[in-house]
Amino acid sequence: MAAPERSPALRCEAVRKAFGRFVAVNDVSLDVAPGEIFGLLGPNGAGKTTLIHCVAGLARQTSGRISVFGHDTVSDFRQTRRMVGLVPQEINFDPFFTPLESLLIQMGLMGVEPDRDKAEALLATFSLSSHRHAYTRHLSGGMKRRLLIAKALVHDPKLLFLDEPTAGVDVELRHELWDEVERLRAQGTTIVLTTHYIEEAQHLADRIGIIHRGRLLVVDDRDELLLRHEGRSLEQIFLSHIHGADAHAAAQ
Amino acid sequence: MNRVGLRTLFLKEVRRFSKVWGQTVLSPLITNSLYFLVFGAALGSRLRDVGGVPYIEYVVPGLIMLSMIRNSFLNTSSSLFQSKVNGTVIDILVAPLGVREILLAYVSAAVLRAVIVGCLVYGVARAFTDIGAAHPLWTFTYGAGVATAFALFGIVVALWAEKYDHLAVFPNFILTPLIFLGGVFYSITMLPAPWDLVSRLNPVLYLVNGMRYGLLGASDVAPWEAAAVLVVTLGVAGALSTALLARGYNLRA
Ligand SMILES: Nc1ncnc2c1ncn2[C@@H]1O[C@H](COP(=O)(O)OP(=O)(O)O)[C@@H](O)[C@H]1O
Ligand SMILES: [Mg+2]
Repeated sequence: MAAPERSPALRCEAVRKAFGRFVAVNDVSLDVAPGEIFGLLGPNGAGKTTLIHCVAGLARQTSGRISVFGHDTVSDFRQTRRMVGLVPQEINFDPFFTPLESLLIQMGLMGVEPDRDKAEALLATFSLSSHRHAYTRHLSGGMKRRLLIAKALVHDPKLLFLDEPTAGVDVELRHELWDEVERLRAQGTTIVLTTHYIEEAQHLADRIGIIHRGRLLVVDDRDELLLRHEGRSLEQIFLSHIHGADAHAAAQ
Repeated sequence: MNRVGLRTLFLKEVRRFSKVWGQTVLSPLITNSLYFLVFGAALGSRLRDVGGVPYIEYVVPGLIMLSMIRNSFLNTSSSLFQSKVNGTVIDILVAPLGVREILLAYVSAAVLRAVIVGCLVYGVARAFTDIGAAHPLWTFTYGAGVATAFALFGIVVALWAEKYDHLAVFPNFILTPLIFLGGVFYSITMLPAPWDLVSRLNPVLYLVNGMRYGLLGASDVAPWEAAAVLVVTLGVAGALSTALLARGYNLRA
């Protein structure tokens, strides 16, 4: 089925994810427009990873609908997974394969004919060319993270999720990653970035959503959010929202 | 159907077992040569024929089946379980791959490994004995069928397992006893009542004798019984693995 023109890059409708009796994502509705960078900001345990895992296929929502460019992530998963890239929060690597092999394999799994030139280009972009034949387990932490990003890009995803891309990363790599995000935006890639660093969201995101205890508390333009809360930093806005939510929860 | 993905996953699994060829090829070669040295060269003259077949030849089909079952089970279970443990299973979960492609890729690679090992053990057997092949086509098909079933069981165990210990439960506590009591080393006609009948409850007995029928032309069970047990085993393994994978059991949150 052809998706209607101008459908949002990502649409979540009343998405809820429960683990037993614990609700990790609670009734989240959200649209992300094509081409924008959306920052999902929230403290640890807020439900950011769980929400994006529901989109990418690592988890399935308990209820609610998720669509990517108009395609349902459950009934039309083959379509949506070709369009989605995920850079996971946790570093993982297959000790059996080298960076070059890993990229070629991931291309194939995503349904794209493995292309050596393209893999080499990605290795070059992420300064991994000299390590193309290294054992992945011998790469430094920063290199492993760059390899994970390269792997998420093998099929030119239209919607890219970066789950805490700069957690535990040194300043130099953080700025390299930010530059890379800007480059992808210039190419038209829609990016959803989760972070608990306010500075990161403020620096990169066009729009910001604040999530706390599974609930999306606010979604707004970064600039308007700052304007509406005249004179306060994003950090103060963030804290007042989550404290407000906590006080509300305590009152009930 | 994601054909490129299916092919890639299959080749990835083949590359994985070829990178540990010492384990895949060398280990069954050595183990089985030892069996043949012990049962053939050392004890051969003291062991009586079984139904007119020299003892050393009588055990060959069971040894082949044993190696094939082990290798095919090990290939799927260790590969899928390790990717669960080191987190790389997400590479497959984010890919546009359905249950069919995932099963087909994992199982074909495991069956290929099992068939290679089966042929190797057969080759070793030919070097030590005069064994032939009474029904080559049956032997090949039957062997591949059994390997398919245990590759599927490997998937089931890998999905169910949450730690390395769990992975060993099936081969050590279920498979090994069933195989040893499954008439690899003896004919159930040698057993006193009621053990000859009790043995008939063991599905592995039929699988070993199915292979024995293929290679020696005679066995403890009728060929149709061996075929029926294989079909049922395949059905159970196929249904279980498909259901668990479709649910994303212990795989997708
Ligand atoms: N598989 C799971 N089983 C049970 N609870 C989980 C599971 N995954 C996440 N959680 C819980 O859901 C909540 C949200 O987790 P997560 O989405 O990882 O948060 P964030 O990414 O915002 O830090 C946490 O309390 C976490 O413990
Ligand atoms: Mg997280």
